[in-house]
Amino acid sequence: MSKLIMRGVSKAYGATLALRRGDLTVEAGEVHVLIGSNGSGKSTLCKVLAGSVRPDGGEILIDGKPVTITGPHAAREHGIGIFYQELSLAGHRTVAENICLPDMPGGIFVDRKALETRAARYIALFDTVAGEGFSAEAVVENLRADQRQLVEIMKALATEAPITIFDEPTSALDRAQVDRFFEILRDLKAGGRSIIFISHRMDEIFAIGDRVTVIRDGETVGTENIADTNPAAVIRLMVGGQEELAAGASAPPAAATDRKAAVLKAENFSGKGFANVSFEVARGEILGFGGLHGQGQSAVLRAIFGANPAAGGTITLGGSAFAPSNPRNAIRRGLAYVSGDRSRDGVIQGRPIIENATPIHYLRQKLKLARPAALAARVKPALEALHTKFGGLSHPINSLSGGNQQKIVIARWLIDRPDVLLLDDPTKGIDLSAKADLFALIRKLAEEGMGIVLYSSEDAELLNNADRILVFNGGSVRRELTGADRTRYNLYQAAYEAA
Amino acid sequence: MTATTQTPAKAAAPSPVLAFLKQPLVVALILIAALLILGEVLSPGFASAQQILRLLIVAALLGIVAAGQNLVILGGREGIDLSVGGVISLSAIIAGNVMNGADSAIVPAVLACMAAGAFIGLINGMGVTLLRIPPLVMTLGMLGVLQGLLVVVRNGIPSGFAAPGLSRFVTQPFLLGLPGIIWLWVAIGLLMAFMLTRTVYGHRIYAIGSNEQAAYMAGVPVRAMRISLFMLSGVFAAITGICLLGYSGSSFANVGEQYMLASIIAVVFGGTPLSGGKGGYTGTMAGALLLVILQGILTTVHIDESGRQMVFGATLLLLMLFYGRGRAMRG
Repeated sequence: MSKLIMRGVSKAYGATLALRRGDLTVEAGEVHVLIGSNGSGKSTLCKVLAGSVRPDGGEILIDGKPVTITGPHAAREHGIGIFYQELSLAGHRTVAENICLPDMPGGIFVDRKALETRAARYIALFDTVAGEGFSAEAVVENLRADQRQLVEIMKALATEAPITIFDEPTSALDRAQVDRFFEILRDLKAGGRSIIFISHRMDEIFAIGDRVTVIRDGETVGTENIADTNPAAVIRLMVGGQEELAAGASAPPAAATDRKAAVLKAENFSGKGFANVSFEVARGEILGFGGLHGQGQSAVLRAIFGANPAAGGTITLGGSAFAPSNPRNAIRRGLAYVSGDRSRDGVIQGRPIIENATPIHYLRQKLKLARPAALAARVKPALEALHTKFGGLSHPINSLSGGNQQKIVIARWLIDRPDVLLLDDPTKGIDLSAKADLFALIRKLAEEGMGIVLYSSEDAELLNNADRILVFNGGSVRRELTGADRTRYNLYQAAYEAA
Repeated sequence: MTATTQTPAKAAAPSPVLAFLKQPLVVALILIAALLILGEVLSPGFASAQQILRLLIVAALLGIVAAGQNLVILGGREGIDLSVGGVISLSAIIAGNVMNGADSAIVPAVLACMAAGAFIGLINGMGVTLLRIPPLVMTLGMLGVLQGLLVVVRNGIPSGFAAPGLSRFVTQPFLLGLPGIIWLWVAIGLLMAFMLTRTVYGHRIYAIGSNEQAAYMAGVPVRAMRISLFMLSGVFAAITGICLLGYSGSSFANVGEQYMLASIIAVVFGGTPLSGGKGGYTGTMAGALLLVILQGILTTVHIDESGRQMVFGATLLLLMLFYGRGRAMRG
């Protein structure tokens, strides 16, 4: 009898179907790998299991008995523990306290002795690799990133749950720490525990996994024995029949050959989260940044724009050197940046549409006065170019849908045309028709001579719209895909390669 | 049954009259009228032309310093200027000493006071932006420094007297029976309204107050903006200090003290939430008027200064209760 069976689990967020049909069967005493591209639904599946998301349909059986997981607490009672990818530690508390946090010993008052004894057991597991300054009494916020991740792992182990989910547990760990962690996992496995392991690193998956389940577009597409498969086969399973979705046919890369007119050039560009990134963008070209989430794509774009500090390397803009310092200077030099996090980086909440569309115009034209009629004459064509739907220019931007808000934010860059447009996952959370409007406009802007860098976490968007794709992995460019090489298979292969 | 079905319908579409009445500015204007009537009932002659003129002068004194307070609060990120009282006192003393009763020294006195106010605002602004000290702490510290400074200064030097020209400007009719200070206040009101709605600078104030990060990403010089707002607050406080000298003839210790709380209440009553990013100066002007009338009523019913401060504090807390702190713009 299988330890855990999930069958036909589905979940929709509003109109978006995050999980269509999630199936997962995990045996006692196995490490079961879960893999899928950005937004495939694997995180949702895990959240359902951990109780942080209520499924819309499907059934879950533990030890053959159907269960309903109503919340995180219920999940723990059903014997499910989870390692959180986003650090969930209490920074001001000690390592020992954090390890025991999910289940503090003692009643109203914490039993310190029991706490320390229990924590010591898990700390001892990583004794040899935890490094300097790591102890039960150490305060978590004073630890290094890898040490904090170890605490997170210990915390998950301390739940002693028969089923434990590890969602990308090794991202900050060094080689020795990963090796030690895998030894521990093998011990747990030998003791009959079930481990669900999510990783984007093929080498790790094949080192520790017993079986692998692949999720694509919200559906479980297959489960294989690791011993009977290989990385290429797994990637083919992730890609499915979509391999021929490459852009080539629909969007001829007209500018790909015209490399002389590089409008933006980065050489050995480094900073927080990326290193030695080099690339060129020509006028009229759409350069895609691809790969998994958070592999440095966004960090590079923000650093070029001066929103994040850069540590080294050179940037050349239109033939002359450019030292990014802050967005203001970048805008003056003809750079534009559209963030996918529009509520943080874009929208000026509560203010009229017209004020949300004009800040760049103010700066580029060094305006002092804001004359409504003159501004409206500039703003309207920009909004029309994006087919923006709005009541009136004086209406607050909050009165619009997410997609139309993002269009206003993009329109602010269109009044005074930039030379280079940096798009940082610009379609996050906007509707399909807004996406189509946006990509039609981007292609048109490129044809009119703009250089465009497009990072998208949706692989299809990238494959359909970019003339070239740089695949990021672990903060550097792993591979460049041009022409007919722009396939889902190649994209995934580069993205999932060992960093 | 009927009640339960009606309530959500009402909540979904409030009547336009109710929505109009709920606007902070309208609330303030209605309250102003009500308080004037109340004052007249309690003490006949309270709403006489002469009394109203006096109330207007006092309201102008408060309204001018509240303009600066308004700008700092609009700029968001917990913006507040608690040092205005200290700046007013300092300005009154500087003005008194520089002019010392001579009309010829009015211009240098005004310039000196405004420079001092701008300088204090510069320090406040730099502390808040460059050293990242919360505005509450920075300006409270500045207030302490200024109070100490006033004690030191006043131990040696006489405080000086207002020039007759300045006193005339504040208390004697100048145009249409109204003294110059009322016209100055009206001019400031018009300038503020123009600045906030029709200039790039004004739009940028709202931008940094509403979403500082988005403003920064759109090339708004956020730090310089914030420093300039504190400087303007210092300048407006200095102007109130000068006028206060003209109103009372000579400056006395901590003449500006009461303006810290009052200026904040005027701003909040006028519809600018302490979280910034929305509101404007027109409401603040109404708020200043309201507060001054309230003060007048409290005085006519013989409530002393400490009692009035308690009422003011309670008013601010009540306002917070009604309008909330302006829900966080994001999330």
